[in-house]
Amino acid sequence: MINQQPPRFNAHLLQGQARIPIEAQYASRFSLLIRFFNGFPSDQGAEFNKIVFQQNGDKVEMGPCQYIVEPHHQNFQGRLVFKQAVYDLNSLFFKNKIDKLQTEFSNLPLILAHKTKIKKEFKEFIANLTYDLNVYKNIFDTLDARYADEPELIKQKVQQAVIETEGRKFMRFMDQKLEEFERTIINYSKKEHERHGYYLRKQLWHFLMCSPFMARTNLKPRGYSGDSVMMKMLYDNQYEGHSTFAKLMHKHPNEHPAAQAVRNRRKLVAKMLGELKFGRQKASGRKIRVLSVACGPAFELQDVLTSAHDCTGIQFTLLDQDKSALSEAASLIAMIEKKFNTKIEVEFLNESVRTMLTTPKLDKMWGQFDYIYSMGLFDYLTPPVARAVIEKLYQILNKGGEMVVGNFHISNASRYYMEYWLDWVLYYRTEQEFIDLLKNVPTAESRVLFEDTGSQMFLHVTKSES
Amino acid sequence: MKKSIEFKIKPDWDEIEKVRNESAEFLQSHELSDDTIHSLSMIISELIENGIKYGNFKVVANKVAVVINIDHNTVTIEVFNPVDESAFSHLSRLDRTIQWIRGYQDPFEAYVERIKEVSKKPLQDTESGIGLVRIAYEGKALLDFFVNDNNMLNVSVVSNLEGNDRK
Repeated sequence: MINQQPPRFNAHLLQGQARIPIEAQYASRFSLLIRFFNGFPSDQGAEFNKIVFQQNGDKVEMGPCQYIVEPHHQNFQGRLVFKQAVYDLNSLFFKNKIDKLQTEFSNLPLILAHKTKIKKEFKEFIANLTYDLNVYKNIFDTLDARYADEPELIKQKVQQAVIETEGRKFMRFMDQKLEEFERTIINYSKKEHERHGYYLRKQLWHFLMCSPFMARTNLKPRGYSGDSVMMKMLYDNQYEGHSTFAKLMHKHPNEHPAAQAVRNRRKLVAKMLGELKFGRQKASGRKIRVLSVACGPAFELQDVLTSAHDCTGIQFTLLDQDKSALSEAASLIAMIEKKFNTKIEVEFLNESVRTMLTTPKLDKMWGQFDYIYSMGLFDYLTPPVARAVIEKLYQILNKGGEMVVGNFHISNASRYYMEYWLDWVLYYRTEQEFIDLLKNVPTAESRVLFEDTGSQMFLHVTKSES
Repeated sequence: MKKSIEFKIKPDWDEIEKVRNESAEFLQSHELSDDTIHSLSMIISELIENGIKYGNFKVVANKVAVVINIDHNTVTIEVFNPVDESAFSHLSRLDRTIQWIRGYQDPFEAYVERIKEVSKKPLQDTESGIGLVRIAYEGKALLDFFVNDNNMLNVSVVSNLEGNDRK
């Protein structure tokens, strides 16, 4: 944004009845560089009612403001800063919106009132939890400080010892607290879950922000949950963070059943693709065409492509809405190619599943596939959209081809932990609801299977040969 | 009792009220509470308004279709309208907006953020996007959409009925 040329423009400052011509330039988010025409003298701290200028044909008036002498800035004599309403000049010049810092307070009454319907027992639970977490955090921080001056390797070893002893006890404490938390909220309505989740996050925000994983799921820097960085954290399942407490808060959700289910499904996909490469490829005598829908960084491919020979039999098409995820998948493919000194046939499609269906004759554009899989997509699709997507995918499946799609089951043991603490909401289904997505596809043979934690199910579909 | 009802209307603002009234009668026949009917009616109006606003009605026969379906614990409202290529930038924005709204456990957060955005005065007229947020927050419903290969946009909401949603 700021790479654009800083806008430079003529303006007027109003001081009492005086109208003082100046030249101004964007200097920083909250200040303008200014130069007085005609040598108009102005003292340090001089105050003006407002600055008036044109921005893209619109008249803009902002003030009151104050002059700060800063003579060494190119041809400018100093800066103008705002005294009351603090205008965000990035927003004005680069987004064409008049925004004030104080806007953050505009919804304050609404936000403060949002706590009125919080149940007493929940407030009490959160108050006790906050106290306990603060106590734990203070102790872990104190320990961190005590060995902070040790050599790096020693620090690591000491921290590891702390994690493996008191750290693991803290993890058990968290487990117990989550059980107590679930008992408290289990009978809440959807609206109550939403409101109490908001309250929990507001109260525990600084604890959540310690954990790289929880911070990312809450802040969603790419605009959606389950991005490739979150996936990598889940796969890595390591202690990450800037302190012992942060590392523990990061690791705890990564050990929960839903996280394990994500790791399990990666193995499952790798196993199924492995069976493909040894089975059908030989039978058909041609390359197997595989489509991964909402592929993310496609980490599973490194589990599947374990030799130069593996890389030759399959033609991959990787589809995702997120260019960054596709770029990470491309890097992974390049790494595997380098490792085995071979080429992998792969096509990348940057499409959203919600708009890809608009492509007429998708099968002509993309061809037919022998195997289609999608692991982390249907958790975000409501039934009308999920049905449309699965029917379209079925259309581009070869006869005898297979399709596997994942969806978290309604009984996911991590559901409320995810919703309240991680602000990560999925569309859960029962087995029947999952199978019902295929009700307009009469020729499909389907079955539902589960990974080991039972949190996630997979709809396995075979397209009839006839 | 009918489980679903369908309407096909001309892209005319006056038609919205008609659908709103008839769908309210349908929802009443399923003994939904007044508050729930009010919320669902607001959703129906918002979706039809968007359908008329972004639809392609250059062909006179093109219409907006509305399908309301009630299962034992779910109300699904689907609004269909034809789109052409001029709507594609709107669709990308719709995609991002819906994922953003649904990224919050409590739609109140999306509502607060959107209100804040609206209070930043744009120098030129832009869309506020508040209608979709109202559907999620006030309408307590999950939004989603897709476009099929006949360039028919389907925007849907799914609302789960709980105890106090019925009379």
